[in-house]
Amino acid sequence: MQSEYEKQEFDRRVEFLKAKAREVRYHIVDMVYTAKSGHIGGSMSAADIMTALYFDILNIDPTNPRWSERDRFILSKGHVCPVLYTCLALKGYFPMDTLKTLRQFGSILQGHPIRKTPGVDVSSGSLGHGFGQGIGIALEAKYMKKDYSVFVVLGNGEIQEGLVWEAAAAADKYKLDNLVAIVDDNRMQNDGFTDSIMPMDPIDKKFEAFNWEVLSIDGHDMHSVLASLEKAKAFKGKPVCIVANTIKGKGVGLMENQQRFHGKPPTEEEFEVALKEIRGEAE
Amino acid sequence: MEMKAAKVPTRRAFSDRLVEYGEIDPELIVFDADIGYSTYTHLFGDKYPERYFNMGIQELNAVDTAAGMAAEGRTVLMATYGVFLTMRAVEAIRSFVCYPNLNVKFLSSHGGITPAIDGVTHQATEDMAAMTTLPNMKVLAPADTESARRSVDTAMETPGPCFIRLMRDPLFDIYGPNEDFPMGGSKLIRSGKDITIATYGDMVFQALEAAEELAKSGIEAEVIDLYSVKPLDYAAVRSSVEKTGHLLVPEDHQKRNGVGYDLAAYFLREYPIAFDHMGLEDTFAESGNYYKLLDKYGLSAAHIVEKSRRLIKK
Repeated sequence: MQSEYEKQEFDRRVEFLKAKAREVRYHIVDMVYTAKSGHIGGSMSAADIMTALYFDILNIDPTNPRWSERDRFILSKGHVCPVLYTCLALKGYFPMDTLKTLRQFGSILQGHPIRKTPGVDVSSGSLGHGFGQGIGIALEAKYMKKDYSVFVVLGNGEIQEGLVWEAAAAADKYKLDNLVAIVDDNRMQNDGFTDSIMPMDPIDKKFEAFNWEVLSIDGHDMHSVLASLEKAKAFKGKPVCIVANTIKGKGVGLMENQQRFHGKPPTEEEFEVALKEIRGEAE
Repeated sequence: MEMKAAKVPTRRAFSDRLVEYGEIDPELIVFDADIGYSTYTHLFGDKYPERYFNMGIQELNAVDTAAGMAAEGRTVLMATYGVFLTMRAVEAIRSFVCYPNLNVKFLSSHGGITPAIDGVTHQATEDMAAMTTLPNMKVLAPADTESARRSVDTAMETPGPCFIRLMRDPLFDIYGPNEDFPMGGSKLIRSGKDITIATYGDMVFQALEAAEELAKSGIEAEVIDLYSVKPLDYAAVRSSVEKTGHLLVPEDHQKRNGVGYDLAAYFLREYPIAFDHMGLEDTFAESGNYYKLLDKYGLSAAHIVEKSRRLIKK
């Protein structure tokens, strides 16, 4: 039973994260517009999950990015690195100015995440491979009897890769209860709606069939996001998959559920409208 | 150099040494993909069960998982057959092992047409092309028991990824126990003055046999074992060729993009000479006896003899 104080404390964390998520979305739009390139839609759908991870759940130290006891995080849907880079910059892994160099020559912010960027644990971006590497890191932690957790964010399109299910089976075999996979299920992928390209439902039942513990949530309800991440991190005995029901482009009306915003930047006009909406100045 | 029938295939020799190496490096972890009784990594698993992970029939995820552990600072040896490793799992090797330059070593059995009776799906005849092309990757192709054993040490002592091509069946032994096989080196295994035959792995024995045959007609062939395919010992080949003036590179691999292409490019650029190259001629092989396959696909000692004669006459 949660005490009244604990409830208030939890609500305070949720309110803090909601405000932080707005900040994250603002910078995602700004950096993709500045770079004139980058994946905005999937960054926005993952923004609430990523905010909860980086500003509450993950036990990390930006002044010591390779601290051996830290929680590990892998963005397996690596193309949405604008949301990752934003979180890392806001946490202080590198200056905020760096966000303006996304995808540019000489930048530490490559088109898809690489290990050389402070705060990035492994390279990812070719779909499915981040998850596989996450299995290895979780296995290493088990082997070394370390206490840290490994979080992996996957896309709903990404799980079409057979590799994902190889990894899911391996996580079951080794009972990787230090591993949490979050599927950012925004119902879309590069070419359109997932249901029309390669349906993967029911995602929850698939992971359950692989002997994972599954939590299904509204990935934009910060209360559910935080509660499920907390529960997943503490869960013992099996790996946990959080299936987060989300909306591609969430937070900017003109981008929501729009295929165009999978990998294209907004126009100048759209950019202005988007920032206003995120700031809460929309009419 | 004397050729003695080998008692064990190079895959077994490598894994025997791997078991010993498990004591030298108590942190070493070994992965297999459900062919541990074929690669003989089960021997490591029998001795160090807590350090042996059988990942099942999922080569792609096995390499990623190995990469994940290596990203945490560990050395992992991943074993399976060459085709599965270099074709099915090549992207994981490229982007998540070679790109971050991690300590994952690859025991790659069934190289070339040596798994002769298994047929084309199990014959790794494009593996060297794939692996030598990857930045940061080192490639070893030992010919016999001793060089296979020592390739464990060479691979482990060299930082970063390393691919070791091994064979299915026992062929011959040529090296004694006190030889060194440093990364980037080669072995001059027969001296001659008329032609240099440079090769690696199983073709070393065909080359030695051919040299013996050529000697009968007064042609003295120099034979070099290129056990380190990448980095390749260009200097040793060059110093031999400066003497002989002719270079023949037979290999149990597709001719295209093999070691022959590499050496041809080197000599064309640095020191043009009479050159020829032997390998699979843009074709797949088939099931059957290894020696019958060598004969049919133009890789036997007799073919090397014929090519050498023609090259010298040119």
